Amino acid sequence: MLCRVADDLYWTARYVERGIAVSRLIDVTRHLELDVGTEVSDFWGPLVGAIGLSAEDVSFFLLSDEKNPDSLISSVRHARELARGIRESISSEMWEELNTLYQSLALPGAQRRAQGDSLSFQRLVRERLQHFQGLAGSTLAHDEPWHFLSLGTYLERADGVVRLLSRQAHLLAPREEAETTDADMVRWLAVLRSCGSAEAYARFYSLRVEPIRIVEFLLLNPVFPQSVRFALGAADDALSAVAALRTAAANEPGPGIRTLGRVRGEVEHAAIDEVFEAGLEEFLLGVQRSIAQVSDEVTATYLRDEPQPSRLVGVARAAMLMAAQQQQ
Amino acid sequence: MITQRSPLAAYDPTAFWDEMFSAPGVVRPHYAALARRLETLSAQEVTRRQRAADLSFQARGITFAVNQDPSGLEKIMPFDLVPRIILPEEWERIERGLEQRVRALNLFLHDIYHEQKILGSGLIPPELVLGARGYRREVRSVEPPLGVYTHVVGSDLVRDHRGEFYVLEDNLRVPSGVSYVVENRRVLKRVWPQIFTDYPIRPVEGYPQDLLSVLREVAPPIADTATVVLLTPGVHNSAFFEHAFLAKAMGIEMVQGSDLFVDDATVYMRTTSGRQRVDVIYRRVDDDFIDPLAFRRDSFLGVPGLLATYRMGRVSLANALGTGVADDKAIYAYVPTIIKFYLGEDEIIPNVKTYVAADPSERTYILEHIAELVVKSVNASGGYGMLIGPHASKADREEYRRRIEADPRGYIAQPTLALSRHPSWSDGSLEGRHVDLRPYVLFGKEIRVTPGGLTRVALRAGSLVVNSSQGGGAKDTWVLG
Repeated sequence: MLCRVADDLYWTARYVERGIAVSRLIDVTRHLELDVGTEVSDFWGPLVGAIGLSAEDVSFFLLSDEKNPDSLISSVRHARELARGIRESISSEMWEELNTLYQSLALPGAQRRAQGDSLSFQRLVRERLQHFQGLAGSTLAHDEPWHFLSLGTYLERADGVVRLLSRQAHLLAPREEAETTDADMVRWLAVLRSCGSAEAYARFYSLRVEPIRIVEFLLLNPVFPQSVRFALGAADDALSAVAALRTAAANEPGPGIRTLGRVRGEVEHAAIDEVFEAGLEEFLLGVQRSIAQVSDEVTATYLRDEPQPSRLVGVARAAMLMAAQQQQ
Repeated sequence: MITQRSPLAAYDPTAFWDEMFSAPGVVRPHYAALARRLETLSAQEVTRRQRAADLSFQARGITFAVNQDPSGLEKIMPFDLVPRIILPEEWERIERGLEQRVRALNLFLHDIYHEQKILGSGLIPPELVLGARGYRREVRSVEPPLGVYTHVVGSDLVRDHRGEFYVLEDNLRVPSGVSYVVENRRVLKRVWPQIFTDYPIRPVEGYPQDLLSVLREVAPPIADTATVVLLTPGVHNSAFFEHAFLAKAMGIEMVQGSDLFVDDATVYMRTTSGRQRVDVIYRRVDDDFIDPLAFRRDSFLGVPGLLATYRMGRVSLANALGTGVADDKAIYAYVPTIIKFYLGEDEIIPNVKTYVAADPSERTYILEHIAELVVKSVNASGGYGMLIGPHASKADREEYRRRIEADPRGYIAQPTLALSRHPSWSDGSLEGRHVDLRPYVLFGKEIRVTPGGLTRVALRAGSLVVNSSQGGGAKDTWVLG
């Protein structure tokens, strides 16, 4: 398949997954605010890189701030713009899902309504994005384009969970005092909920919520699809499939496959006690760096035949020129 | 047969040829079943179906970007629910006429890029051909597979006040709009399925498959299994939806110029598993932009080195390079001569009377009668660069007089046509609106005319301009079997 198409598929998937993660954060932020009032700034302050913001500010920043490249609105817009350029390579259902979602957000007044009822709004958007992911699995052949979508989805997921854990490391660090307050419990649950993992955690452990088990679950669980280990495994499977095609065509598979295999192995063979002993933040930082490296290496090998950064502007200008001469 | 309260009762077909009515209150026989359906339709129901159709176009992103609109807004082409119906005998003549025309134009193109017999015959001024903007010396003596230059043609037909069909212009370069033929049918089936049970309608869905066959047929002989791609200028192009639609329906890659490169006299695309050879390019990029080494240097849409590869016969282009000369509006005036010269036949579908300003006596006529004529720039399209004499202001007419005198080769004029009209929905009532018809002709081993076409409708009352860029809409077009 074309490098450009693979590139756009990969990023469409990343933006969709990012949108889902952000919408969960909005959800959790709003619930936290209702549960423990204004004392939650230590929870969502790190999320937005600023302290002293009201829950409303945070919700705006995450939901509809166009200047925030990771806001829900920005993610949907990016994903739809990319999907439009490769609409011939995805199923009509997938394209229509993103297109109608984008259009409903672009309607006049949609933003105001979204702020007014951010809970149901983010839920609606998340469901549509999850629907898109479901459609990808059920309407595309599970060959190369689908592998690039999977790669994007799972790398983004692993990256998102790792970042969330890093930001909340202060909450999750082992503490001297044995007493846990109700507020602690609410915050820990919020971390799980931010990753859509509260129910699965309860079923898996059937024990009280404790920081070390939260980290273990989100980082090392082998079978839960929101865990870092699961996501890295799935990303590695996708990249291996793509690399096999490239090897079959007598071309080098590139270094990304080794980097990803290494970090996958590291997470698969980690024990939670050792992770905490060696330092959680250090461990998370290492994984995060590896994920970024994989993304760069995959881009260099598979998605860019050669870098052409200034081309886009020229293409837009020439298309405008040509439009004047079109036969329509 | 028409009751007082029906939406058809107030309809006034006026003096124009009306596709549906032969006189006030008298429906043509092949429209009778449709008229019965229309009579039972309440205004609310029309609105509901119309909204469903619009939503469907919007959701599927069947949109076009309006030229030169800096915001890059996407608009849907307005869709009129009332279909246009064409009788089998009418269609049979259109089909024969278009086949004749396309065959002759391809012989003409081959001739002017090879022996140039027609230029020695004295039937057509050589400077008109060789001086045309669309004439490409770069493809002299290039032999396209099967001798075919125009694999896809969209000629615009109109009907006069007697119902006679004429060819208004030929589009031989990169004609667009065929996706609407297929999509209009699909949407109408969805929002108003009942009317389809009344008629034996010939399907149009086969177009992409027919196009794919043509593209495979014209692959270079060196290719055993041909890789076919569609070359698009990208999302900023007004017809981007159509490019994606066709690429998807044919199951081929849709590439942009930057996805392709030339190496060792071969065109390759950049893929995730390395380079892959390309044999046939269905290009939706104009000649001017297709190779910055040969044509416009500022073009980012093309592929450097493509022309040289094409000249060597190692890649096929559809349509071929250099077809623009044959849809130049001044050359158009000579198409009946061209048909006679190459086929020894009279034209089946006549041309509209055309005055070529390059000819001194015809120029005098144009300048004297500019208020009655439609003046067109020979190279413009999309409803741009034209003056409709009877509707134009004095200042505009003077402006065009000046332009014609400054550049006679650049203009032609035609009598203002009384284009036929078709009932169309307008604010809850049926009103007559002017229509044209663009059928699509495919040419590979043989010529195929898709049974249907794009009926464009000038939705503004009284307007004669049907182009989508100028407020035109479209109708589903039924050819009866």
